[in-house]
Amino acid sequence: MASLDEVVLDHGSGAKLSGDLISLVVDTLGEVYTGEMEDSAVLSPPAGRIAMTTDSFVVDPPFFGNGNIGKIAVCGTVNDLAVVGARPLYLTLGMILETGLPMARLLEVVTAIRDTALEAGVQIVCGDTKVVRKGEVDQIYLNTAGVGVFERPPLRMRDVRAGDRVILSGPIGNHTVHLLSIREGLGFEQRVLSDCAPLNGLLDHLFDQVGEGAVRSVRDVTRGGLAAVLHEYAKASGRTIRFDKEKLPIQFETVMATDMLGINAIHAANEGCLCLFVDPAAEDRVLAALRAHKYAAEAVSIGEVTAGEGPVVLMREDGRDSVVEELQGAELPRLC
Amino acid sequence: MGKIAVLTNDLQGDVVFLTPERTAVMKEAQPHYTGFLDEMRKRGHTVYHLQLINLPDDPNANRRADGTLPLQRGTEGAEILPEFLGEGDVVVEKNKDSGFYETELHDLLQAAGVDTVLVTGLQTQICVQTTAADAFFRGYNVWVPSDCVVSDNPADRDRSLTWLSGYCATVADSKEILDVLDAQDALPRRVAKTLP
Repeated sequence: MASLDEVVLDHGSGAKLSGDLISLVVDTLGEVYTGEMEDSAVLSPPAGRIAMTTDSFVVDPPFFGNGNIGKIAVCGTVNDLAVVGARPLYLTLGMILETGLPMARLLEVVTAIRDTALEAGVQIVCGDTKVVRKGEVDQIYLNTAGVGVFERPPLRMRDVRAGDRVILSGPIGNHTVHLLSIREGLGFEQRVLSDCAPLNGLLDHLFDQVGEGAVRSVRDVTRGGLAAVLHEYAKASGRTIRFDKEKLPIQFETVMATDMLGINAIHAANEGCLCLFVDPAAEDRVLAALRAHKYAAEAVSIGEVTAGEGPVVLMREDGRDSVVEELQGAELPRLC
Repeated sequence: MGKIAVLTNDLQGDVVFLTPERTAVMKEAQPHYTGFLDEMRKRGHTVYHLQLINLPDDPNANRRADGTLPLQRGTEGAEILPEFLGEGDVVVEKNKDSGFYETELHDLLQAAGVDTVLVTGLQTQICVQTTAADAFFRGYNVWVPSDCVVSDNPADRDRSLTWLSGYCATVADSKEILDVLDAQDALPRRVAKTLP
């Protein structure tokens, strides 16, 4: 007799236990789930252009101090839609569960998905559940795909110009430090929390305040960190991006931790931080609007795009510029 | 005035004898390290030994080459080495690098009225450093006796001591600590930085 306190292989068999598990998930999602349990969700296409994205989530550990993999799975996809200027509408939800995962833990994840989806104003329209044997995944992996609709012009990397200011919406490095600290018990996990948050509301607020044109392009600073984002923009625009190291928003304890671990915070993954490229004439207005929102109270201008020396990223420190090299590989796996 | 406690990290066979290099540096440090613990005990300060136990389901625990987990509860390799134990010492199990991470250490120290901790043991750049940082975040006055911390690689130890003195601890050798203690009957907080 299979225990219903934990996930068993039969929960993924397609038979009665599968149905029981799906019903439990659907009940927990509540009004966020709008699917009808058919093989596909049947939806009316929104007017105009849509944005689509997908992301898989394998974060280690899947349960951390102020969130879990479910929250990240909604935020990651919602934020990817929002930063290109789309309004997130629909998400899919794919779950791969390890045999033995306590049902209570699964429901913690689903509850976080529901709460975060409610905050972001998105609906879960379809889903899939698979169960694998012990050791074939680490407790739970998720995939979310998302669809958004454009109600304003898309934000593209190619629209960035020389002179644009580079703004960060908040501190960098906290998500990475929080997770690494929990993995090893480093002592920072109570002081440094993950920044994981759905940021579409922040961007709606920003565009309401500053209008179109003030913000040329936006990217969420996730895997690869700030350095990876700036390198992508430098390559796409063919321009030089220079930032000031002293202006980087980094919490004191995060400085301590990154110094201890030999990590540079500019390479650290985040889950609730935006990098914005802004018309210099609108810099002050954008900063003021950002700082008025709970997810960007510490927004700061860190640098600018220059015609410069081609597609390079420069970091200014003590009055001197040094080239920020692009990392060749991922030093820090499974942060999202 | 709060009490002073000495914390040791990972003075266990499975840790100390893991590599020839570590065994050698521990052998060199042991006489003055155990001497310092004795001097602190004589002055009435309690020694808390942080005993690292690997949980079987911890995916981040370091395994032996044959796949088995060292530092298992109840095994000889997990016991605190007898030469470091003294009367009245307290052994506190921990499962991660910091001695405060999901352990009873903070509660024990608070119940004992401790506000100053001396963090010792090995390795400096891992368990000593993280335990000291965690103690600092919890409001303790943190001191690190530089000659009672050990790393396989001396450069790692030196780099870690620089980090500790820069961020969260007063670093001094054990003789200086005993001199300050005897002269002032306290170890004054020297680190300027405090956190809310």
